[in-house]
Amino acid sequence: MTEKLHMPAPEGPYPPTEEMLSVPVPHEEQERGKAELRAAWKTPTGWRYWSAVNNTEVGVWYTLTAFGFMLLAGLLALAMRVQLAFPGMEFLDADRFNQFFTMHGSAMMFLFAVPMFEAISILLLPAFVGSRDMPFPRLSAYGYWCFLIGGIFVMGSLLFDAGPKAGWFMYPPLATKDEGIGPDVWLLGLSFIEVASIAAAVELIVGALKCRPPGMRVNLMPLYAWYVLVVGGMILFAFPPLIAGDFLFELERSFDWPFFDPTRGGDPMLWQHLFWIFGHPEVYIVFLPSIAVAAMIVPTVAQRPMVGYSWIVLSAVGTGFLSFGLWVHHMFTTGLPQISLGFFSAASEAVVIPTGIQLFAFVATLMVGRVKMSLPMLWIAGALAIFVAGGLTGVMLAIVPFNWQVHDTYFIVAHLHYTIFGGMVFPVIAGVYYFYPFFAKKLLSERLGRWSFWLIFSGFNITFLPMHMTGLQGMPRRVFTYPEDSGWALLNLVSTVGAFIIAAGFAVFLYDLLRSKKHQGQIPRNPWGAGTLEFSHDVPEESWGVRSIPYIRSRYPLWQQDKIVERMDAGRFYLPDAPDHQRETIVTSVIDAKPLYVQPITGPAWICMLAAVFTGGAFIFPTFHIYTPAIVCAAFAIVCVCYWLWTATARPPRSNMRDAGLGLRLPTYASGPNTVGWWAMWITMLGDSTAFASLVFGFFFYWTARPDFPPAGAEHAIGLWVALAALLLVVSWAATLTAREVNHRGHVNAARLALCVAIAAALGGAGAAYLAVADLDPTSHVYPAILWALMVWLVVHVGAGVIMQGYCLAGSLAGKLTPLYDADLHNVALFWHFIGLKALVTAAVLGLVPGWLT
Amino acid sequence: MTDINKHEEQKRFRAEATSLWKITFGPLVWAVHFVATYGLTALTCAKGWPLDPLRIGVGVGTVLALAGILWLGWGAWAQWDTLRDREWENDAPTDEDRHQFLGHAAFLLSIISFIGVVYVALPILLFGSCQ
Amino acid sequence: MQNIWLSDGMGQGRRQHNWKSHAALTGILLLAGCGSGRQSVLNPAGDDALMLFDLARVMFIGALILWLLVAALFIYVTRIAPREFSRCSAERLIVGGGVIFPVLLLGALLIYSLPLMSSQREADDGLEVQITAEQWWWRVNYVLPNGDTITSANELRLPVGARTGLRLNAHRVIHSFWVPALGGKTDMIPGRETFMSLKPETPGIYRGQCAEFCGASHALMAFEVVAMEPEAFAAWLAAEAADAVPPQTPLARKGAGVFAREGCGGCHTVRGTDAQGQVGPDLTHVGSRVSLGAGILPDGVEDFANWIAHTEDLKPEVAMPTYDYLSDGDLTALATYLEGLE
Repeated sequence: MTEKLHMPAPEGPYPPTEEMLSVPVPHEEQERGKAELRAAWKTPTGWRYWSAVNNTEVGVWYTLTAFGFMLLAGLLALAMRVQLAFPGMEFLDADRFNQFFTMHGSAMMFLFAVPMFEAISILLLPAFVGSRDMPFPRLSAYGYWCFLIGGIFVMGSLLFDAGPKAGWFMYPPLATKDEGIGPDVWLLGLSFIEVASIAAAVELIVGALKCRPPGMRVNLMPLYAWYVLVVGGMILFAFPPLIAGDFLFELERSFDWPFFDPTRGGDPMLWQHLFWIFGHPEVYIVFLPSIAVAAMIVPTVAQRPMVGYSWIVLSAVGTGFLSFGLWVHHMFTTGLPQISLGFFSAASEAVVIPTGIQLFAFVATLMVGRVKMSLPMLWIAGALAIFVAGGLTGVMLAIVPFNWQVHDTYFIVAHLHYTIFGGMVFPVIAGVYYFYPFFAKKLLSERLGRWSFWLIFSGFNITFLPMHMTGLQGMPRRVFTYPEDSGWALLNLVSTVGAFIIAAGFAVFLYDLLRSKKHQGQIPRNPWGAGTLEFSHDVPEESWGVRSIPYIRSRYPLWQQDKIVERMDAGRFYLPDAPDHQRETIVTSVIDAKPLYVQPITGPAWICMLAAVFTGGAFIFPTFHIYTPAIVCAAFAIVCVCYWLWTATARPPRSNMRDAGLGLRLPTYASGPNTVGWWAMWITMLGDSTAFASLVFGFFFYWTARPDFPPAGAEHAIGLWVALAALLLVVSWAATLTAREVNHRGHVNAARLALCVAIAAALGGAGAAYLAVADLDPTSHVYPAILWALMVWLVVHVGAGVIMQGYCLAGSLAGKLTPLYDADLHNVALFWHFIGLKALVTAAVLGLVPGWLT
Repeated sequence: MTDINKHEEQKRFRAEATSLWKITFGPLVWAVHFVATYGLTALTCAKGWPLDPLRIGVGVGTVLALAGILWLGWGAWAQWDTLRDREWENDAPTDEDRHQFLGHAAFLLSIISFIGVVYVALPILLFGSCQ
Repeated sequence: MQNIWLSDGMGQGRRQHNWKSHAALTGILLLAGCGSGRQSVLNPAGDDALMLFDLARVMFIGALILWLLVAALFIYVTRIAPREFSRCSAERLIVGGGVIFPVLLLGALLIYSLPLMSSQREADDGLEVQITAEQWWWRVNYVLPNGDTITSANELRLPVGARTGLRLNAHRVIHSFWVPALGGKTDMIPGRETFMSLKPETPGIYRGQCAEFCGASHALMAFEVVAMEPEAFAAWLAAEAADAVPPQTPLARKGAGVFAREGCGGCHTVRGTDAQGQVGPDLTHVGSRVSLGAGILPDGVEDFANWIAHTEDLKPEVAMPTYDYLSDGDLTALATYLEGLE
């Protein structure tokens, strides 16, 4: 056996001692480092500005875009409120009203709430953890452009009166039978955005786990990073069921495969399950990051470290888990067995406990500190008042019989706005006031801020408090009009007036945000006296993130570590320079944040925007049932992504070691489980497997829900082909692993041969999977349809796997991938672990399970 | 000053490669219990099977889940080790504090998981039929 | 006692009964104050709704107290006593307020409330009604113990004091059946029958409405529920089982001609005539109903005329064509005929 080749290990002293840190940095060293970093991190100017990928640029665009979509969705709400101001109004007709309420909900959720979390996190997370940038800046940029294109497409449909109009929950059969393109706009446009959201979640998780500064162990992480981990994990498990649902839905819309059509064995309830398995965690995906913002503000206001740090971690993780056991409380009225409803009622009450702990930990922190009511704290206080009310109505709604009365009435509208305004909008605005000095290097106006607060706070309560009553008096949701004798007229009029007061508040806020602040002069660096790293930022702005990456020994380094900002500024800490004019950051270990290696980071590029445009084409053309350009776009998108990976990632470094500062020498290349790329792949595949599991769940769901599944005398998949597909895909998996191992040992040609075998076996396996179900007619019944769907899912993944294998083969031939620099091959092998598993499960479901069930 | 490749405290508080996962074990027990309970109930009710085996199954499952959570919680309590050092903030930059912090978080999560399992098992006691 | 209306009522005189029931209906409508509160959870008139009303009151009072406590605590620590409390008392607050108190409170709430679910799923006392939701109206079939069904539409009549089972279906899309004054709602899902039962306690006319978004005219899919004394109900059911009254006046006879000429029978059934269509609501006794167009109009001659000539305006995307080309004479005749179908 040949010896494996390894990159050199880190060398030098760690952790740094106080003596090492107190040695001053010579002036010329400081200047050299600054100049190099400035050159490496220079933001493009002029029209090239839009090729920027730096988190501080992309984060700001992302935040503003999400905020813009929120304002548009808010305008839709105002129009609806006008229509409902009086009984029998004719301001909007039924069709337009239905488009508006559908888009109001969809945009608030998919174009504002979730993207806002990602936007804020992309903008702030690197600063919280003293990192230079996100680990994959081009991925952030790609995600942003996808979001922008998808969002404009979906919102734009309203201008052509072609917007989706079946509700943001898109229940079939109403949505599957809709004859317009509305449901396709919704499904494809938002799937596109969901994919971008998952990409961002992956990046954020990797950022929080692997890009922390040296010494920032898990017990010292800023609370925001904990929330990012939890919420990223939730996105990973919550969005894929919806994507699987979208996949089935679009197959029904485009090709008439009857997944939700009860006349051919389908069941509309499957969609409801998949949608709400996404939809309920989604509520917490929206809520937790905003609470995380509060968790950053509260200690600053109290000028004390958070009391009960572990409690907050507990409540974040606990809420993350429990929130997956609540989805049926959106389906209490669907006639499910009482016992089942009971489980979800109980779990819905259980989730109150961690949420309560969270709030009490904040109050406890305020207790031990000496509170100064700053403007951000005013918004947090408003959030608390509103959110507690929403939480209490939530406790009521979790009680099944009460829910049967008020479900789908204005009581729910009131409840959900109380939770979302209290749990998201108010904390986010608090965050804008609090972090504005950080990202804009200016301050917002105290006076306008108070005006805006009182307008929005009072307007909110005038609008939504009466809605509890409107609902109890029997007004259902989503009605475009109501009769005069209903007794709902006065309450509705009050709500409409309140809505305009909220709008006025937002107008004040928007004005404050956008007005010119040139006269303001230079602001203090840490205006709130915060203790966390983001307020070590440079004023005036520098685009390098942090001047040098600090060594962290405490939860609130700016309070608890002497001279830390001085030393960061002087370049005393890690990576104080950029000799190759290359963007870099330090990658550390997950638990104890020990430095592992220096990761090169990608810089400005148009390719991510181009990739997003083509990806957009691949999703948008099918809306109009135009498939050839869609396929061409998809192909170009793949080419773009490959080009960008090829030119910018995992390239052999100039030298294997880099002087990282403080005597520490770190490798400049790594492969396998230490790397950010490997983690990203692993996390992505967790999410992808969740989507696959949702499809398999669909198969078993039909079996429990329908007596005719599989139908008597149905044709089944052909066993021989199923077995062959499984066998070939396992061979391909094994060959990929072999390639990784022999390449690692220096047998480059053997590795290339193994990759060729792997590609051939994978293609053969995909063909066999197709032949196994080719004779079945997927439009005839849901049974052949779900078999087809599983096959398509598998074949698409095998296709991606083949491209990756080809990419590695090409890399090996071109000298990009060598026995030492083999990160790509590690990541592809990891991908193939999942394909192998998927192939076996698919084969079992296609070939074996129908036999057991009949 | 020590070399980066030496770990002075490694013996006592090993750099737990799995311990970030370990804090989720309590909630995972809850999740498995929840999914199994819900799945069995849905199946029993959909197929019209008798309820008694379901009750017994869920009862046994609940007892097992609670026992598992207690066991995890006990381990986490020991790891937190608060009675010995009377220290519950665990905010020092040491392996020991990181170790104890993870114990504390896991302990609190097992409390929540325990409550969750008890709540979720309530309906099976309170209802006599699927209807 | 529960079956008297099913057998005994059949032979009673039709006209006399209809007159009585109409008078009763008008009186109730007046008493109800033009319908305000007829669709309210807060005016419970059924067994289940009364129980839910009590549950709601308990929870509202509890929620209000809790909200005030949290608000008071917050104001106290930030405004009234902004001094530095000890860490120990802060930790105690988290344990007490965040864990112990909610666990006990929520546990008690669950144990109190979970068993309340059962009543609305209880079996019926002998009468069962099959309701199928269409876009945007309701097919209503009363199923007698002998298996006979009596077809009606857009109105549900129930005897007070007895539990009536409702078998709920939907034809094309999902709807939800809800009469707030009588009880909670249950969804109606294509391909899956759902079940609930209701037990009105006070005679009266209540309004129900579809609660699940079901397309363009979701807002215009309502119905009236008439809760009647058991004897009156039995009499009404007997009348409902009978064929339609033949038109009595020349104008009504002309209307019947228009009905036949325009092919209304292709979609609607009027039992005892050639009209046997199954697409739209059964019109055999449409004139005796409280409302028209699935709860959106009253039931007078002019309302019939208004509806027939303006279907699309009154209910967007409704399947029934707009007969705006009928002459005023034809329209009045047709409306008179329909209003006479008591």
